[in-house]
Amino acid sequence: MGFLEKQTDPTSPMHWRGDMQADYFYPNGIAGDKFFKHLMENDTFLATKCKPCNKILFPPRLYCEDCFEEIFEEDWMEVPASGKVKLFTKATINAHGVKMEEPKVIAVIEIDKTDSTMLGIIKTNELDKDFSGVRVKAVLRPKGNREGTLKDILYWQVI
Amino acid sequence: MKEVAVLGAGMTLFRRHLKETGKELSFLATKMAMEDAGLQKDDIDMVVMGSAPDAFDGIHKKGENLIDGAAGAGKPYVRVFNGGGTGVFAPIAGWWHVASGVADICLVVCEEKMGNCYPHPQTAFRHIWDPILDRPLNPNLVWLFAMEMNRYMTTYNVKKEDIARVAVKNKRNAVGHPCAQLADPNITVDDVLNSEIMAWPVQRLDISPPSDGAAALIFCNKDIVHKFTDDPIYVGGVGWNIDSTMWTNRDLSFPRYVALAAKMAYKKAGILNPRKDIDFAEPYDPFDYKELHHMEGLLLCKKGEAPILTREGVTERDGDLPICPSGGLLGVGNPIAATMGQKICELYWQLAGKAGKRQIPGDPRVGVGQAWGDIMQMATVMVLRRG
Amino acid sequence: MVEKKEYKEWPPYAPGTHVRESDIREKKITYSWWEPEVQYSWSVGHAMSKFLQGLKDGKLYGIHCKPCKRVIVPPRMFCEYCFGPTEEWVELKDTGEIETFSISYLDADARRIEVPILIGVISIDGAYPKPMGFMHYFGEMTKDEIKIGMKVKAVWKPESEREGSITDIKYFKPLEGGSEQWDF
Repeated sequence: MGFLEKQTDPTSPMHWRGDMQADYFYPNGIAGDKFFKHLMENDTFLATKCKPCNKILFPPRLYCEDCFEEIFEEDWMEVPASGKVKLFTKATINAHGVKMEEPKVIAVIEIDKTDSTMLGIIKTNELDKDFSGVRVKAVLRPKGNREGTLKDILYWQVI
Repeated sequence: MKEVAVLGAGMTLFRRHLKETGKELSFLATKMAMEDAGLQKDDIDMVVMGSAPDAFDGIHKKGENLIDGAAGAGKPYVRVFNGGGTGVFAPIAGWWHVASGVADICLVVCEEKMGNCYPHPQTAFRHIWDPILDRPLNPNLVWLFAMEMNRYMTTYNVKKEDIARVAVKNKRNAVGHPCAQLADPNITVDDVLNSEIMAWPVQRLDISPPSDGAAALIFCNKDIVHKFTDDPIYVGGVGWNIDSTMWTNRDLSFPRYVALAAKMAYKKAGILNPRKDIDFAEPYDPFDYKELHHMEGLLLCKKGEAPILTREGVTERDGDLPICPSGGLLGVGNPIAATMGQKICELYWQLAGKAGKRQIPGDPRVGVGQAWGDIMQMATVMVLRRG
Repeated sequence: MVEKKEYKEWPPYAPGTHVRESDIREKKITYSWWEPEVQYSWSVGHAMSKFLQGLKDGKLYGIHCKPCKRVIVPPRMFCEYCFGPTEEWVELKDTGEIETFSISYLDADARRIEVPILIGVISIDGAYPKPMGFMHYFGEMTKDEIKIGMKVKAVWKPESEREGSITDIKYFKPLEGGSEQWDF
């Protein structure tokens, strides 16, 4: 069709199908590598303190995004792999929009001894409970099977 | 419109794979630029991020993802992208911020992590082709440049030896650049001519490598630059232009979009005779023939004359018109947008006399940097001058 | 403001940590891996619909932009230079001239191949001004025979195999016998 011709046959404009193929490799970075390597050997997390802001940042980082000061070796510290639920929801559909067989409880957890939170899935039989303020701890893969990714945290459990 | 000066610049190591995340790379480059300028995050008014396709880093909205490392949290911010042209387009966008008066100090950061795309960034390049007309033919990106190179060589009777001289010059120029990925003090024309043929006439040593890296630049308003330095480097002119996507309907032997962008920049900079008024240039050189193609597009010589100037040594660092004194993309590396490090940061370091082993002799006062992007479409040009 | 760092040479150092392919393979650094699966269905558009249908019928179509005096192929609904609507379809010949080419020892996945692929841009007879055409393969010629300016002709797939795609043309081969007869 030229621009000025009327379109009378709705089946005639065609479609072309295709895909985008690529695989991705995401290095964890300087701070991330340190955090995950520690998690492979220990059952605790690492966090970093930003001295100017007087805040404990988690996940740990090389710099504070608020004041932009660099964070050095001596400002890294160990914190427990546990915390308190700040927000939560019961998810019934998965990432593709399909209803899951078993709903999951997703929570934002305030990590102990830090000023930050982390997303986690709580494994529980009480799906409709009010989890606000409930204390939870991370259940990790057995040492030796840990790979250095977030999946080394299998799920969170109510303490 | 306000006059804009450069306060500081920084760049990271360029390598095929770097351990740092994109955010960490942005942080390292920004920190160096701030050290050069003597600034902290609070001194920065606005931030511009330049980064080429999300498909390399593998994070959609990567502009927003990177901002923590680019001192942008809580600040007015914009990401710009036009393929390979981003390396000079991001500083142009930074220039807009200050020239318009909305910001006194603007930070520009460019970052790229091509290594994230597996098995090779070529895979992401498969998706820049038109899905209906080109992709069914399973093209490889190198074919495109090979076709343009062939057309250029045939139209102007250019010999491969003269094109290979560019790769030799740039890889040798890169020796002494701390960030360089492919510096080689011993490379010869024969090495280039004997390297593996990828898609004739393109051979392996004609091509710059994919890289991870970041670069940063800080612009400020002329009214306050005296607080930082007595000998400021100013932005003389900016220009940008894009040509149609229908590349099979265009004459590939001359990049007219580069000439149009250059004219726009030269008009603002008051450059009437580019060959005489400009002291050195950093044209985009992802392939060695592109340096020649772009020299002609930048109106630094007549069409077909660039290989002759290269053969005669005019474009060496100690020649009459040094081209790519940094070592360019062929010598230092090609992390798409972060090539701002060689194209604009280098102009600033040369004009300020801070380029160390790479310093051009004499007293360079005007330099032009250029980047090129998309399917032979986008040209971005910036002129920097001293005083 | 803070104190400037007065190094003599810039950049004064190159921050960043190089990792090699072997470091990644041997898992010396930790990382995540993801294989996205994304599917697309692109609308071809009005002009390309007719072009692709033409290919299925074994014909090449161009479209006329009168103000610019161009017959455009691949065809489009509007002219990108004068920004006016294009009108009047023109049936083009399936012969043309090589504008540029490359001899590739890499296939689409950047793997090395022994027998090179010949690829290039062909200006189609009947479309103007040159260069006016599209990219395609070349066949029935060697890498030493191919040259810019060579006259070529399309080799089509048999009708039953054509699907309305640019690949309905297998490749372009050298044109023998010329394309026009002198008009008495």
